[in-house]
Amino acid sequence: MDFSSLTEALASQAYDKVADICDALMLQVAAQGVAFQDEWPYAIHLLGHIYVNDINSARFLWKRIPAAIKDSRPEVNAAWKVGQKLWTRDYAGVHEALREFHWSPDAQGIVAAFSELYTKRMFDLLLSAYSTISVQDAALFLGMSEDDATNYVLQRGWIVDTSGMLTVKKQAVATEQRLDPSKLQRLTEYVFHLEQ
Amino acid sequence: MNLNMNSAESLVAQIQGFSGTVHDLAHLQSLLKQYDDLLHSDSTRSAALLSELDPAKHSLGYLYILEACTSTPIAKEQVSEIALSIARFIDACTSDQIRLAPDKFISVCKRFKDQIMLLEAPLRGVAPMLTALRKLQSSTEQLTTLHPDFLLLCLLAKCYKTGLSILEDDIYEVDQPRDFFLYCYYGGMICIGQKRFRKASELLHNVVTAPMSTINAIAIEAYKKYILVSLIHFGQFSTSFPKYTSSVAQRNLKNFSQPYLDLASSYSNGNISELESCAETNKEKFESDNNLGLVKQVVSSMYKRNIQRLTQTYLTLSLQDIANTVELSGPKEAEMHVLQMIQDGEIYATINQKDGMVRFLEDPEQYKTCRMIEHIDSSIQRIMTLSKKLGAVDELMSCDPAYLAKVGRERQRFDFDDFDSVPQKFNI
Repeated sequence: MDFSSLTEALASQAYDKVADICDALMLQVAAQGVAFQDEWPYAIHLLGHIYVNDINSARFLWKRIPAAIKDSRPEVNAAWKVGQKLWTRDYAGVHEALREFHWSPDAQGIVAAFSELYTKRMFDLLLSAYSTISVQDAALFLGMSEDDATNYVLQRGWIVDTSGMLTVKKQAVATEQRLDPSKLQRLTEYVFHLEQ
Repeated sequence: MNLNMNSAESLVAQIQGFSGTVHDLAHLQSLLKQYDDLLHSDSTRSAALLSELDPAKHSLGYLYILEACTSTPIAKEQVSEIALSIARFIDACTSDQIRLAPDKFISVCKRFKDQIMLLEAPLRGVAPMLTALRKLQSSTEQLTTLHPDFLLLCLLAKCYKTGLSILEDDIYEVDQPRDFFLYCYYGGMICIGQKRFRKASELLHNVVTAPMSTINAIAIEAYKKYILVSLIHFGQFSTSFPKYTSSVAQRNLKNFSQPYLDLASSYSNGNISELESCAETNKEKFESDNNLGLVKQVVSSMYKRNIQRLTQTYLTLSLQDIANTVELSGPKEAEMHVLQMIQDGEIYATINQKDGMVRFLEDPEQYKTCRMIEHIDSSIQRIMTLSKKLGAVDELMSCDPAYLAKVGRERQRFDFDDFDSVPQKFNI
């Protein structure tokens, strides 16, 4: 089996490509009738799906894994545990599952990157869903200690009061709005189409 | 006549010589047709010829011989090897050449699928089948008879994501109704697995409303899933059929799906315990239909539906009140439900933990970003393509003699009726 494209993606931290690469590779070796299961990097494959937030695919992959491998490879189980927590929306549990396992060197990179991404995703979720939230809960969502969480959100403009309640401050995001001149051409085409 | 050494060698030479231009291939094909019976009669010797051919360069000849030598029953221990050689051929063959003999190609691929099923290794068939159907299609708008087989393999191998790749193509050309029924049904199941309920309901809707002259099992199963998916995605189900549904479907489908219709009518009351007991009453039926998982999703979607309903009435509401109205255990559970819905973009709201309140907001989309313009733009493009296609189909139909003859007959009758009714009025 030629894992060079996977190794390359992992080395260049292109973690969003990991799932697609693994999927394609697995179908390819399966079609050649190769018994790939024992050597397959299931943990990385699962984490690849998790990284792009495709929990459905992670779940179906988990169902495909032979029982013997589930029994003998703790890292595969640990990777699925992360998926499971995401699946059940146990927000704090995701951080815990990421932290509690001692990941192999191959998996460490993608786990660290996902952990960071997930913290950011959680921060964005809190930003969009809450106007006030307790320090305690914010810490659970962000997977940090209460002090770290308070610092994290204060740096982003939130306000903390004496009772340990955080007030969420939304920052206006200015996105660049530029239209392509070819749009005008398109509009002409539409009018022309309607007049026909 | 036997496939002796001489004729075999000359056939190989002909294949090698006539695999170049379109003209050559036409000649080769007529020759292969003459040899076809002979190749079938001695499949062992035919198989030996394959080693002298290049599957990419001599695809047409290779295909005829491969079809002949896989036509006889094979020993169990050989299945894996033969499946592998077919997979290699599918991978290597040139699509222009195999499309000259689509029937041969299809029967080789169908045999391949049967072998894969026999080996109980559906994953082995997924990639070759996808390649095969892509090579067989003249455009992505064409539904081939390999489409349903591919989707079935994806379902069995739990490769749902790979299955999605062909469901994004819009289909306009269908040969066999059965292929279309199965394609939409399996496709619907793939989308359900990936929680793409809107697309799933579209595909299942196609099965339910497709023209049919007799009721079939695929349509019945599709209708059951269609009811459940509609409840999950739209929160309601209309028992009336669209006008273009065949009368056979309109008359029969409901008779086969009573428990599902009961569930839908219970859902419309918005009472969670009533819905749960309805699901419980028919549990065995749902289980034997393999729909219990979907039914459970229907039940849990009711919480969402009821919360969504609240947003239409209230501007702010306490978490405790939400928990009471929606029948959740307490304010914390209500908060988690609301949070999930915000995360999934199903409602717009902000939670105020300090006061234990939720404020419901309007959709913040103001339709003035570049991204939205791009989105609208691509929708317009798609609609324009569709309208052009409809125009072309309409034109084609208005030139169809069978259609004109039917319309002509009916117009005569109508004219006669119109004419007849007038004097009656003045008939004193």
